[in-house]
Amino acid sequence: MRFVDEFRDAELGRALAGEILATVEPGRHYKVMEVCGGHTHSIYKYGVDDLLPANVELVHGPGCPVCVIPMGRVDDGIAIARRPEVIFTCFGDMMRVPGSHGSLLDAKAQGADVRMVYSPLDALRLARENPDREVVFFAIGFETTAPSTALTLKRAKAEGVPNFSCMCSHVTIVPPLRALLESPDLRLDGFIGPGHVSTVVGALPFEFIPRDYGKPVVIAGFEPLDILQAIQMILRQLAEGRCEVENQYRRVVPYEGNPRALAVMAEVFELRPHFEWRGLGFISQSGLRLSQAYADLDAEVRFSVPGVRVADPKACQCGEVLKGVIKPWECKVFGTACTPERPIGTCMVSSEGACAAYYNFGRFAREREVV
Amino acid sequence: MTRQPDPAGRCGAEHCVTCADEGVAMRVSSLDAASGLGVCVGEDGRPATVETGLVAGLVAGDTVLVHAGVALVRVAPQEAAA
Repeated sequence: MRFVDEFRDAELGRALAGEILATVEPGRHYKVMEVCGGHTHSIYKYGVDDLLPANVELVHGPGCPVCVIPMGRVDDGIAIARRPEVIFTCFGDMMRVPGSHGSLLDAKAQGADVRMVYSPLDALRLARENPDREVVFFAIGFETTAPSTALTLKRAKAEGVPNFSCMCSHVTIVPPLRALLESPDLRLDGFIGPGHVSTVVGALPFEFIPRDYGKPVVIAGFEPLDILQAIQMILRQLAEGRCEVENQYRRVVPYEGNPRALAVMAEVFELRPHFEWRGLGFISQSGLRLSQAYADLDAEVRFSVPGVRVADPKACQCGEVLKGVIKPWECKVFGTACTPERPIGTCMVSSEGACAAYYNFGRFAREREVV
Repeated sequence: MTRQPDPAGRCGAEHCVTCADEGVAMRVSSLDAASGLGVCVGEDGRPATVETGLVAGLVAGDTVLVHAGVALVRVAPQEAAA
C-alpha cells in the first residue's frame, strides 16, 4: 500500500536501530516524549520500543484528544444530550468517555438521542434533515480537527441552519507542552512532535522548546520507521550538541503549516482564558470557544449546562500517565478494574490512550535491563 | 498514520480515526470550487465528499491527507510516486 509499506521495512528498521545504538552514550539515560497519542499507539502496535537500547525511554505525552477531556465536560454534554429536543452528535471514542454518572453511550442506552458522526459535516447534514430537532455537535480534538469544526460552523452560518450548534471542547497543543516543561516532576531530553497537528500549525509553534528549554523537537510521521528515524534524529542532535526543531514528516508537514486552516480557525474560534485538562488541571489559553461572531451557534449559550468541575476518580491515575510520570501498568486499576471495555479513566478509552495501547498490545508490565 | 477509509468502521467501538488524530490518504477525483467540496477516493475505491477549500491549487489526481472530512494537506508528489 502506498505511504505504508515503504515505512514498515524490517531491514531499514534494523539499520535505524543500529544507528540509534551507535549514537547513544553508554551510561546516559535518555527520556524522549512522544507528544501525540497516535505515536504511542504505533510504538506499541509495532513494538518500536523493543528496538531501542534500554537507556532510551519513551515517555507518553498528553496528545490524545479524548484522554484530556475532564469529567465535568462530559457531564455538560450529557446534560444537553438528555434534552428531548436534542440530537447530540460526537465522534466514536468520545461516546465511551466516563462522566461522573456514566458516559454518553450510557445516556443513549437510557433514551437520549446520541449519534456517532465521522465529521462535523455529518452533524450539519443531520440538522438539515431534522429541522424540528436541535442538533448539537460535541467538538473535541487538537488543531488537526478544529479546522473541520470551523469550516462546518462557517457553512452552517452561511446556509442559515438555525437548529445546529456546537459544544466546543477543542484544545491546542502548545500550552500543555509548556506546562509539562515547567513541571519539576519530569526531566525530558527531547520531543517527538505531533505529525498531524503540525500539518495545520506547522513547525514554528514548537520553536520555543529548543529556544527556551534547550530540548530538541523532531516532528514525525506515524509509521514505525518514521518514529525510529525521529528518535535517531533527536539522539543525533543531543550527540552533536545541537538543539532545534527538525521535520522528519516532510512528505506531509509544511514548515509553515496550513495558512488557510489557521485563518478559518482564527475567524471562528477564540482562546478561552482557562480550560481544564484531565489530569493536568487548568491551563491558561489552552482551549478554544466560539468567537463572538459565532456565539449564536454556541451550544453552551443556547442551552444551560451544569459547568461543574468534577474530580477524577481517586483510583484513576490518568493524570500521572498523561504527564508521563508513571507508566500505564503502574496505575493501581490498570487491566483489573479499568479495561477498554469498562474504562475508569480516559487513557483506557481511545486506542490513542497510553493505557489502551499498553493493554491492547499486551504490555502489562515491562522491565528492561539497563546497559 | 495513513489508513484507508472504512465507512462501516470509521468511528466504531474499537477505533475512531478522528479521535485518533489520523489522516487518511485519498486521491482527488473531482472538485467543485463553488461549494468548496470535492469527491475523494481512498485506496479501496470508495468515494467520499470532502471539504477541499483549505488546500490551495488542488487538481484532480492529487493525493491529499483527509481528517474529519477535510483535506488538510497535499501529499508531496515525489512521495505519491514512491
